Amino acid sequence: MSYACAITEDQRDCYQELTNVAMGRAAERLAKLLDTFVRLPVPRVSMIENSDIRMAIQEVGQDSSVSAVCQGFAGSGVVGETLLIFKDTSFANLADMMHYSGPLSRQAELELLMDTASILIGTCIRGIGEQLEIDFNQSHPVILGQHCQTADILRSGNSTWNSTLAIEIHYQLENANVECDLLLLFTEESVNILNKKIDYLLD
Amino acid sequence: MSLNLLICDDSGFARKQMAKSLPPDWKVDIHFATDGVEGINAIREGKGDIVLLDLTMPNMDGFGVLEIIRREDLPAMVIVVSGDIQPEARKRVLDLGALAFIEKPIDTDKARQVLTEYGILTGI
Repeated sequence: MSYACAITEDQRDCYQELTNVAMGRAAERLAKLLDTFVRLPVPRVSMIENSDIRMAIQEVGQDSSVSAVCQGFAGSGVVGETLLIFKDTSFANLADMMHYSGPLSRQAELELLMDTASILIGTCIRGIGEQLEIDFNQSHPVILGQHCQTADILRSGNSTWNSTLAIEIHYQLENANVECDLLLLFTEESVNILNKKIDYLLD
Repeated sequence: MSLNLLICDDSGFARKQMAKSLPPDWKVDIHFATDGVEGINAIREGKGDIVLLDLTMPNMDGFGVLEIIRREDLPAMVIVVSGDIQPEARKRVLDLGALAFIEKPIDTDKARQVLTEYGILTGI
């Protein structure tokens, strides 16, 4: 398979390490908010084609009902999209941890989703930007779906992402049934700019 | 005989960053391991008098390495270098016997400060 742009193994490794640092910062903020411990995975960095995004997302919430938010970011010519996908079974636990009282309405779940998204997405994007000396601006988050199958997420959203570089982080809380996936997708044009910055770090 | 220092991290970029952050005039033999399993083997071979240890790694993570060092009473002074800056992660590694915790990305100042503080940097 050929791509218009590509990353070398050294570059892939560097993206992974920058993500490692950024996701650690996000986990710290979430852990403090929820008074819990976030189990951190090794992030997955890969080049994928547009059609593969669908597969990547479907892997995330296999056979389970999910809710998802997306949020764009841009800076120094680098443009991307983040996608946060929560397993719906997470919300009852999240509500407990955030000391929500009363019945868990759709609206309350939405608030939980948005609160968590702003921490996980915002901190991660800023963390990566900071290490690459890029000041990212973020657009408003958009709900892609509540209580739906992952296949529906792309159908409902503007699935015109032409991204090639994908970074996937699977967050899991210890001793609590809370699980989500954060996907960072960069446009093809961005990868060349990012690679230059990465090469500078690798020098 | 000079000291053996082991850098244990799955990322080549991070291993390089750690090696570069060490005081240039410090006389140590530097060894590398790319995950926890390799790290433990290297320590058993005597290559890890001092260990700079990452936490998030495939095969065996840094917590696993610390547990084995403690269980087998291996002679290694471990400094954890990690992006996992959750207070609980720091507490766990110190409870498991790590000497200190350095937040990633590591740099010369952070490394020198910790190495000096724990009396590891001698003769410079």
